[in-house]
Amino acid sequence: MRAALAIAGVELLRFVKDKGNIFFTFIFPLILVFVLGSQFGGSGNSGRVTISGPDSELRTAVTEQLEDDEVSVQFADHDAMLEQVARGRTDVGLVIDQDSVAAFDNGSATELELIAGNASTSMAAQQRVQVAVGNLDLRQVQVNALEGAGVSADDAAQALEGAAGQASAPTLEVTSVDQLSQEFQGLGQFDLGASSQLLLFTFLTSLAGSSTLINARRQGVMGRTLASPVSTLQAIAGQSLGRWVIAFFQGGYIMLATWLLFGVDWGNIALSLLVLAVFAIVAAGAAMVLGSVLDNEGAAVGAGVGLGLVLAAIGGGMMPLEIFPETMRTIAHVTPHAWGYDAFAEIQRSNGNLIDILPMLGVLVAMAVGVLLLGTWLLRRSLARSL
Amino acid sequence: MTQTATEPTTTGDGQRVLVVDNLVRRFGDLTAVDDVSFTVAAGETYGLLGPNGAGKTTTISMIAGLLEPDQGSVTLLGQQMGPKKAAPKRHLGLVPQDLAIYPDLSARENLNFFGKLQGLAGGELKSRVGEVLELTGLTDRAKGPTKDFSGGMKRRLNIGIGLLHKPTMLILDEPTVGVDPQSRNAILESVEALSDEGMAVIYTTHYMEEAERLCDRIGIIDSGTLQAEGTRDELIRLTGGVDNIQLTGSGDTAAAAEALLALDSVAQADAERGHLQLTVHDAPTAVAQIVTTATASGLQLSDVQISRPNLESVFLHLTGKALRD
Repeated sequence: MRAALAIAGVELLRFVKDKGNIFFTFIFPLILVFVLGSQFGGSGNSGRVTISGPDSELRTAVTEQLEDDEVSVQFADHDAMLEQVARGRTDVGLVIDQDSVAAFDNGSATELELIAGNASTSMAAQQRVQVAVGNLDLRQVQVNALEGAGVSADDAAQALEGAAGQASAPTLEVTSVDQLSQEFQGLGQFDLGASSQLLLFTFLTSLAGSSTLINARRQGVMGRTLASPVSTLQAIAGQSLGRWVIAFFQGGYIMLATWLLFGVDWGNIALSLLVLAVFAIVAAGAAMVLGSVLDNEGAAVGAGVGLGLVLAAIGGGMMPLEIFPETMRTIAHVTPHAWGYDAFAEIQRSNGNLIDILPMLGVLVAMAVGVLLLGTWLLRRSLARSL
Repeated sequence: MTQTATEPTTTGDGQRVLVVDNLVRRFGDLTAVDDVSFTVAAGETYGLLGPNGAGKTTTISMIAGLLEPDQGSVTLLGQQMGPKKAAPKRHLGLVPQDLAIYPDLSARENLNFFGKLQGLAGGELKSRVGEVLELTGLTDRAKGPTKDFSGGMKRRLNIGIGLLHKPTMLILDEPTVGVDPQSRNAILESVEALSDEGMAVIYTTHYMEEAERLCDRIGIIDSGTLQAEGTRDELIRLTGGVDNIQLTGSGDTAAAAEALLALDSVAQADAERGHLQLTVHDAPTAVAQIVTTATASGLQLSDVQISRPNLESVFLHLTGKALRD
């Protein structure tokens, strides 16, 4: 065991000392998480609203209401707003004309035009706009009522502020009727990208790192190791453990960094780490297989990166599995990525427990055993060949 | 508690540290090692001399327990060696022909790693790493990555790793390949010192002069077969123990050859144009009389060359081919 730990330790040391790994291990995954979060989750669940109309108290009041509800608000002229809605760049368009502005200023009822988009998040955004505008109407009615009772406008506004502060505003959870939206219910802006990039990079780095195994074999380090009082099985166990430690280390780093930087919610952290640990065994085993069948370090890096990207693409590491056609989604589950994706989805979105993720863990464990046995057999064979 | 190789539990077969018995190893149709046997005693340096592809490294791999022999056995300090035998490997230090070090790690990190594989730990590991760095002259460069080392420094580290756990038997597989003359001399001196300290050493080389300088006994190997073994002098006697003298000059070489053949020390004299090729016993003693006789027979000498047989001659004699790369 001590020999296996020594081998694993030296593999980790070599990984950490290789400056070439810094970018792909520590920086690049976070960049992609940020980019994906910005692209797919920029609106969160609160939506984007574009308002056209003159700068006025009404526009300011609506904007404040929406922003309080974490809706992203931008302004544009009427034509630009229509184009944004049509192109899906905003969920809802809101038209504030001069009549509405004047009515609001006079304390009369206001009527705004809402233009709904076709995006899956449009429905939620519409509801938020309706609530915001409704709140404004209600507030205006309340102010008018107080003024009618002889209270000055300033005192009326102050009284209403105080009353609002004492009451807990009821929260409205909007449940979308759209199935795709329901799939992503409960996810933060960067959550989806973080879990998919964790799977992609953990596996890819592990596969690309198989070159160090070839290097050790070709340079005679493995031979020298086996000339020590170390059995072949111990040497292979050390190599596997080293690769697992590297994969787990990188995955753990991505979890920690995305939580700290982007506030990614990993759900039950113990379960998420368990999924990562089992997935990392599969990655380590796959690296052993690759490092045993290839004899050229450059080829191993190339094949590792290529294979890592292809498997991630198939298995939901680049695009959410939920938007895959049914057949492709079935095919995706030949990859460990898809099972890891499902397990993280269960934990992050549905607060899944161990029982919920057991099927995914079971498949990942079976895959891990398979690739480890294959890797061990192939490495023994390649060692015998190289000695 | 780490059992070190300097405390052998037994010396096995008397003074013999290593017994190699009828080793055979085949790769498909090729018999890489064919019935090789020899022994090595404590404090003895045994040379395996042969050209590239002769079977030296395959033999070494079986001795080091890396390869399972198809037939025969290897016994180190009375314990059977093999890929699945961990215990006797504690007594063995292997310095492979390849630079079996991690280039991205420092000398100290490499030594620490291989020391741990040998079962060293804690203060003992730290102390041995320091000693080996001192011994190899790498203390000042202990922290830098070995990829920045010169070829000689890498070779020294490669040897140092083999010495970390103070093995009873050290195997050096062509340790001077690609090394500059200064580093080569340093390596040869350290091997001599290790032998003087009582370490049993197997030294494989295809450099005749290294084998002659270092080895107490030499096995000449070719095509997987041990052609002959013994001390340098014993091997040279296999060639007949005769020296060669070449006389160059003008005059009647045929008459001179006839006169020289009459001497007891001259076994053969062949006259060629301007040269006389003599096969003689004990050339250093006989050369004065030969020169006098040749001059007296009318040969005006311009050059005299004496060549004594060496391991190259032995190899040529045994295999019919030159010992070369």
